[in-house]
Amino acid sequence: MRFVDLVSLILYNLGRRKGRVLLTAIGVVIGTAAVVVLVSLAVGLQKNATQSLWGINDLTSIEVYPGYQEVMAMEVKGGGGGGGIYGGDTGVKYLTPKAIEEIKVIPGVKQTIIHDYMQASMELYFGKLMSWGNIMGVDLTDLADMGLEAERGTTELTKGTVVVGSWVPQNFYNPNPRPGEEMTEPPDLLDQNLKAVLIKYTQDGQEVRRTVSLRVVGILKETRGQADGNMYMNLGEVTAFSEWSRGSRIDRNKEGYSYLIVKAEDPDVVLDVADQINALGYMANTPQSYLEGINSFFLVLQIIFGGVGAIALLVAAIGIANTMTMSILERTREIGLMKAVGATNRDVLSIFLGEAAGIGFVGGLGGVILGWGASAVLNVVALSYFASQASEGGGGLPSAAAATPAWLPLFALVFATIVGLLSGLYPALRAATLVPVNALKYE
Amino acid sequence: MDELTDNNVFMKIRELTKIYSMGESTVNALDGVSLDIQPGSFTVVMGPSGSGKSTLLYLIGGLDWPTSGSITVADDQIEKMDENALAEFRRNRVGFIFQSFNLVSSMPAEENVGFPLRFSGVPRSNRKARAQAVLAQVGLSDRTTHKPTELSGGQQQRVAIARALINDPPLILADEPTGNLDSHSGFTIMKLLADLNKAGKTVIVVTHDSRMRQFATDTIHLLDGKVVSEDEFIKATESLTQTIEEQGDQL
Ligand SMILES: Nc1ncnc2c1ncn2[C@@H]1O[C@H](COP(=O)(O)OP(=O)(O)O)[C@@H](O)[C@H]1O
Ligand SMILES: [Mg+2]
Repeated sequence: MRFVDLVSLILYNLGRRKGRVLLTAIGVVIGTAAVVVLVSLAVGLQKNATQSLWGINDLTSIEVYPGYQEVMAMEVKGGGGGGGIYGGDTGVKYLTPKAIEEIKVIPGVKQTIIHDYMQASMELYFGKLMSWGNIMGVDLTDLADMGLEAERGTTELTKGTVVVGSWVPQNFYNPNPRPGEEMTEPPDLLDQNLKAVLIKYTQDGQEVRRTVSLRVVGILKETRGQADGNMYMNLGEVTAFSEWSRGSRIDRNKEGYSYLIVKAEDPDVVLDVADQINALGYMANTPQSYLEGINSFFLVLQIIFGGVGAIALLVAAIGIANTMTMSILERTREIGLMKAVGATNRDVLSIFLGEAAGIGFVGGLGGVILGWGASAVLNVVALSYFASQASEGGGGLPSAAAATPAWLPLFALVFATIVGLLSGLYPALRAATLVPVNALKYE
Repeated sequence: MDELTDNNVFMKIRELTKIYSMGESTVNALDGVSLDIQPGSFTVVMGPSGSGKSTLLYLIGGLDWPTSGSITVADDQIEKMDENALAEFRRNRVGFIFQSFNLVSSMPAEENVGFPLRFSGVPRSNRKARAQAVLAQVGLSDRTTHKPTELSGGQQQRVAIARALINDPPLILADEPTGNLDSHSGFTIMKLLADLNKAGKTVIVVTHDSRMRQFATDTIHLLDGKVVSEDEFIKATESLTQTIEEQGDQL
């Protein structure tokens, strides 16, 4: 049997039972539309997530943390100090000045910026309001050098001043609210003095307090990252506070610093540089590596969403199998006739498989169109909702709620067709293997 | 003389049996049938209902497998063929005509007639031309686009005959082709089959209509799955009619 004849016969057979074919296809339409909409939604979410990352993060930045993986390896080996660049006896690769030199000479590295948390208990006061805070020491005088921008005020640090992240004012609250008092409004901290109370305990348990005054000279733009919660201060001053708190000097050659921001000369070399830093035993994170993590998360999301849609398709598949079984019962004599006039088992199998696949295809086509339309409607609704949210609260506007990649309709169509084909497999096999006599005698 | 090299025999049937088993009970639909069919012969198969006529015809047409025995056509043994070889045999070497026509009701006459050609890989345009030619042969040139429901029973059977002829097979098998027709249309069909026979086709017809015998070169009588002589056949049918009449009298 020639392929064109096969196709024309399949189309003819589908055409003479239009009503039933379309009713059966509705199941496939719904299933396919569900796949298209849900996967579009997952892709749309991914786009929004990655867009906000790409848009805001400086693509040349690498965050470098001490290398803790080594600890386990060293313990397994039963060895203590690895000596050399391994700090102390712990086996951790600390970010010591020596380590920083090691990183600085990696080709492609432009700059390293030391970050060190203040290691002290602290309470923060502004008038009646209280807060907590991360005081972050940096070896920079201008935060603009690492890509941070001021919303108001300056990015430059001098003695006794702090530049705070955009969320820091929101952390202030009234510890003794009057009954019925509303939530505290975030205070305007610019050019105000904060009172920081450092607390330490002597060896016999005596509490010692030290109050320092910090002047807020700048408020940073929102980065949607770590910087938003930080209060930046000169590294030297922060080190002094930390040393006061523990009562002894910090040996940076042993303990290193909390983390580094390493600037690469070019976004293209960032992953390369990060790999080399990792190879040295430190932990390097880049926006790109976040992106990879996000992408794999969303791939899983797409598969899960697609799977939910696929369940709807499975139900449709049962419908197709049912319709095909019915149709083969009704057309038993016709099958007998086909065989009597010389159709091979393969011809009969192809015809009925083709009809089942045809129902899948028709439903898939409808489902792709419906799913596409539904995604578009979803976008209009969601975007107007986001727009109203954004005008209240600020922040970025997502580009779309659901994004349908070009491969998706094609994939959905092929998938629906294959589902149809598979659901027709059993009925078609039964039709193909009918003994002609029995088929012809069937009433 | 070696039977297998006898060129005067078109088809050799030897010790053919077909046993249907339904649960415990078995039916010997055919019980050791041996026949020679000559090329260009017109064989009429007669016998009461249930005597195994259809079973014989279906086995000859390669639509079922015998329980035992052999059917040899031009050195090919049908009972040994696999599915594909049988399909090829049915496609090119036999044309089947049924009592109930078995036309596809949604297809016009010419499509019904051309239907087998789809499985022989004949292109669409050729199919149409050939179907029209064969329809003309059975006297239906003016009915090519009619659907079966728009045709009389006799016309439908002529469409079915045209379909059986479309691949120009040497053998025509007809299972009670006039059974659903009035006697006039039935006779037209008989004459049509006789014409085909004159044109060189070997024809085997199962029928209850004794008018068919005037065209026959051979007549075969079947009783309970066995070939019997005409005398035996008449005796058996008479006693059968008597029994029925006696039973009728008793009622
Ligand atoms: N598929 C089948 N299963 C069981 N018995 C059958 C089947 N086909 C035919 N028979 C039996 O075989 C016998 C011969 O049937 P058939 O050849 O159709 O007779 P005829 O055509 O002479 O009326 C009958 O007794 C019939 O009941
Ligand atoms: Mg019969």
